[in-house]
Amino acid sequence: MPTHDVLVIGAGLAGQRAALAAAEEGVSVGILSKVHPVRSHSNAAQGGINAALQEDDTWESHAFDTIKGSDYLADQDAVEVMCREAPEELLYLEHLGVTFHRNEEGKMGTRAFGGASAARTYYVADITGQAIMHVLYEQLMKASGEVARYEEYFCTALALDDAGRCVGAVSRNVRDGSMELFKAKAVILATGGNGQVWKPSTNALICTGDGIAMAYRAGAKLMDMEMIQYHPTTLAKKGFLITEGARGEGAHLLNAKGERFMEKYAPNKMELASRDVVSRAEQTEIDEGRGFPDGTIALDITVVPKKRILEALREIVLVGRDFAGVDITKEPIHIKPGNHYTMGGVKTDFDGRTDVEGLYAAGEVACVSVHGGNRLGANSLLDTLIFGRRSGVHAADYVKGREEPVVSQTLLDDEEAKIAEIVGRERGKGRRVSEIRDELGAVMDKHVAVFRDAEGLQTALETVRRLREEASSCYIDDDGHIFNQDVIGAVELDFMLDNALATCVAAIERTESRGAQYRTDFPDRNDDEWLKHIDLTVNGGDPTVSYSEVKITDWQPMERTY
Amino acid sequence: MAKFSLKVRRFKPEPGEGPYWENFDVDLDPDLSVLDGLLQVRDQQDGSLSVRCSCKAAICGSCGVKINGQSTLACKTRLSEAKEWANRSNGNSEPITIEPMGNMPVIKDLVTDMESTHWQKIRRVTPWLLPKGDPPEREYIVPPESMIDVTQTMACVQCGACVSACLSMEADPDFVGPAALAKAYRFVGDPRDGERKERLHDLAQDPHGIYNCTHCFACVEACPKGVAPMDQIMRLRRIAGHDEDIDDVNNGRRHELAFVNIIEQKGTLDEALLLQESFAPGIKGKLKPPRGAIKALFDNIPTALRAIRSGKARSAEKLVPGIHPKLPGDAQKHVKRIYAHAEEHRIELNLYIKGEEFGGGDDNEAEELAENELQGKEGAPA
Amino acid sequence: MSPAKNLKFAYWPGCVSRGFTTELHGSMALVAEKLEIELVELDRANCCGAGVIAEHNQELADTLNARTFALAQQTGLPMMNICSTCQGAQSECRQRLDADKAYREHVNGALAEEGLSYDPEGFSNKNFLWVLVEDYGLQKLKNRVVRPLEGLRVGPFYGCYVLRPRHRLGYDQHPERDLYLEKVIEALGGTVVEYDGARKCCGFPVITMSREVSLRQAGTHLGDAMDAGADCLVTPCPLCHLNLDMQQPEAAKVTGKDLDLAVLHLPQLVGLALGIDPKELGLGKHVASTKWVIDRLEPVSA
Repeated sequence: MPTHDVLVIGAGLAGQRAALAAAEEGVSVGILSKVHPVRSHSNAAQGGINAALQEDDTWESHAFDTIKGSDYLADQDAVEVMCREAPEELLYLEHLGVTFHRNEEGKMGTRAFGGASAARTYYVADITGQAIMHVLYEQLMKASGEVARYEEYFCTALALDDAGRCVGAVSRNVRDGSMELFKAKAVILATGGNGQVWKPSTNALICTGDGIAMAYRAGAKLMDMEMIQYHPTTLAKKGFLITEGARGEGAHLLNAKGERFMEKYAPNKMELASRDVVSRAEQTEIDEGRGFPDGTIALDITVVPKKRILEALREIVLVGRDFAGVDITKEPIHIKPGNHYTMGGVKTDFDGRTDVEGLYAAGEVACVSVHGGNRLGANSLLDTLIFGRRSGVHAADYVKGREEPVVSQTLLDDEEAKIAEIVGRERGKGRRVSEIRDELGAVMDKHVAVFRDAEGLQTALETVRRLREEASSCYIDDDGHIFNQDVIGAVELDFMLDNALATCVAAIERTESRGAQYRTDFPDRNDDEWLKHIDLTVNGGDPTVSYSEVKITDWQPMERTY
Repeated sequence: MAKFSLKVRRFKPEPGEGPYWENFDVDLDPDLSVLDGLLQVRDQQDGSLSVRCSCKAAICGSCGVKINGQSTLACKTRLSEAKEWANRSNGNSEPITIEPMGNMPVIKDLVTDMESTHWQKIRRVTPWLLPKGDPPEREYIVPPESMIDVTQTMACVQCGACVSACLSMEADPDFVGPAALAKAYRFVGDPRDGERKERLHDLAQDPHGIYNCTHCFACVEACPKGVAPMDQIMRLRRIAGHDEDIDDVNNGRRHELAFVNIIEQKGTLDEALLLQESFAPGIKGKLKPPRGAIKALFDNIPTALRAIRSGKARSAEKLVPGIHPKLPGDAQKHVKRIYAHAEEHRIELNLYIKGEEFGGGDDNEAEELAENELQGKEGAPA
Repeated sequence: MSPAKNLKFAYWPGCVSRGFTTELHGSMALVAEKLEIELVELDRANCCGAGVIAEHNQELADTLNARTFALAQQTGLPMMNICSTCQGAQSECRQRLDADKAYREHVNGALAEEGLSYDPEGFSNKNFLWVLVEDYGLQKLKNRVVRPLEGLRVGPFYGCYVLRPRHRLGYDQHPERDLYLEKVIEALGGTVVEYDGARKCCGFPVITMSREVSLRQAGTHLGDAMDAGADCLVTPCPLCHLNLDMQQPEAAKVTGKDLDLAVLHLPQLVGLALGIDPKELGLGKHVASTKWVIDRLEPVSA
């Protein structure tokens, strides 16, 4: 049985940062990921990472922007921690070798980003997430003696001891199909978001909300699950992300009449208003008939000097060329709002602790909450790193002097039986995994998107309930052990359905409009009743709803304009 | 929507049968990718078809395969494009062939064992920054272009397409290879690294290192991210040979110098002299030949004799090293002058920084950029 | 170029065609005469550097090739080469020279004393293979064939430098440049042999540094072509020729295969079909015997 003091599940930025931080504290660490670490979705963060490191900038300014961006749903104590620690974290990355863009003086230079009152986004061309993650992986390779890597291991469940503490996980070695119980004194979940619940999504195929579902099943509270970000600029047909950096560099949004319509919605910040605001503006233009016939808006990057595009938006040039057949230096590219980010997740404090002892969560899987109703661009990388590190440090501290946990073999037997049951289902009886997944994605994108109302949400909820039924008998084709991605797909579908259920319930519950949750039937923010988080706890069928307060420190809620 | 026929190389390890081809028909928008085609097969026809994939946007590097024999990412290759390529020379009926990557063992279907090949080679080059001394209080101050320069290799997504395509590795599985050597340049080119010379020494002396690249451009062609691994290998050679003056046991440095000197003296190549000078340069080399030189010279004797016998090297200037004629008139003088000029400046134009690939580089744009920066795009509050 | 006029080129033969493979230089002259292609030899021009000089000093390689281009431009003619390696090395330098005006001016500064200057405007540099297909024309070539290579099974061997990277070698405009050898073989009446190595590397660039790896590459491709039933290979690259022909017995030792396969230079194969005497084409100057090839062809009817 692989045994470590700290087991990290997921190896994107949050997971790798947590593992490195824990290892630095001198405890034994295992990091496990269903894909090779460098395949993780942190790669996709293009634009950059925020930190108030310029001389004329302050962490308070960064914090205020973040809180305002969150539509005052973020916990301000957590935001303070993140923004205060950002500069140090950024320098840590630079010293490890991240190739941050330099200005003429050879110092790190910044770009502007949405919802920010200063240009405080540091970047590596438009591959910032990739550059940081590959550098962290370099450090993981360097730390091979201290951190054991389990690459291509898929977790199916968390292990709890009799006292309800998290003491490990069950995992399937993707390569040979063997199931193993991993024992640990503390487990850090860093499994990312759940974008695949929506179709289309900017998220990778691996973003199936595994950690959110596993923690929920283990009894941890989920929070802010209704807050799903639709990114303003995703490629119409395929859902690919066009970085906010494009607008940061000066690109315009135009409707079919050629109007720079953001004038109407955010006269000061224009295209650089917060994402929920820009996405709603676009969707309004499209819904009111001022979009292009294919239901899109034009993003005009040609107003940015070509030289600058080639230097700073190289990846977008490639995406345009390879995936849309558009030379973005010469013509506008058609975009629309698309599913992008899970603001909610497993409820944690700012050391990553969940409601289950021994279980931590960091990154997109977690909800600290620093993003509240709407995440600012270039705050997600920061979130993963700050809270990844804090989880790693805290978990290392927690395990010190703690006795070897006792893990029951029964869980492994149960999980093996569960997999065997799926593999053993009769082909052709019931639905295919892909049919259920596609129906789920479509209903969520239709009813749990930019604009929502009670009727649509109810339809979505009922569909999700039915799909959960159907998923219990859906069949797969692959009956092998080696690289059986089919059976993993079936388990992921179950995870996704738990995520979808939680989001529908929370979205129905919140009868106001705040951040990414815009209810056409309750179009106003209602601080009197709803300046609070919705927490969800597992309870057989639909989750049980409870509430928790939003921590306000220095910034009282105000009207939000850009 | 259009119909596409996919001919997929299958391998199911568990029944223990050898690999086989299987054809699948899919119906998809021609703008969608070959990966979308494979995913449709998996979703609708055969869920047991294995292929690593995640982002579908050429960022995660999972879906390296060979399409119509070319190593690439399945998500980055459009179905229409792949079909056209499959049918370049015969009619319109050929299927798109999809195989696992080369130079790696196959685990199942399109899934290869990258750990024992690609990743082992990556780890071979000490792939982490080894800074000199303690870090500064703030960031390292480095030239802006140096960061753009190494960002070219940071753009590598570790997909293995270059390794799959590498023709040197096909002949020598121990070759460190394009991906790992590009990764090595990422540190050699990084002004923050303190072990540049040691890294270069290591890779120049390794018989499977920088001098084992056969300069075939296969990696440059295969790379979906413009990393141009071979260009990075040539830069490693340039820095190892010229800047660090590393006299390697593989004859790389001596061969390069011999070649360069002959052209300076003669203008065109004197093959006999090249052979001799590569292995035992100058008088000093002949009196005390470097390690391996005598064996290498002997190895080449049969070839030299055959050249004489077949008439290739029958005339005196081809047989005797050094009597090869110079360029006519004053041409040789001008070549020598060019040498002096180029050695004085040694400009290395980096097209990745210039952005040539997209046709950039004219003066107006440079002015535009400067103007833009003056307006405070850079670092100033928005 | 108007079809009525004969083709005329500033001709860069390269080093190896006048060194170890004089039969290439000789056969090119004979073939050009037959095809009425006029060649103005650039006898003052210098080595392309074969990638090795660029590996030493990029600016030096760029300047040396800019000099060759400028010499060609002085003739007012487009340039032609007969070596894949020259084509590739020169195209690489040209890409840099064309990309940046300031850099080009700097390089031209070094050429000024000789009265030379390279101007990218209208400049063209093509391998004979490309000229044959794109400028001369396959139909016209076919019309000139007096001794069709009927029954001769020919394996193409391109050489990396005319294949990759495509974006640098004009494939945007001529996407089928990697199929031209097959087209030429067919136009000459021969049969194309498909085998694995046609577009792979001969191994020559590492012959002095990694001899065994180099010879294994050459030997593998020769063996594959023989297994596929080839009577001979044809290549537009004299450096490939060195490794495939001159080193063939050594490659046989390394691969443990009984190798015996003639390797013809492109002009030699064309010349045979045009009825030129094999001896004049230098077929006797090869290491691997070409007798088998000659015996399979009809004698030229006078």
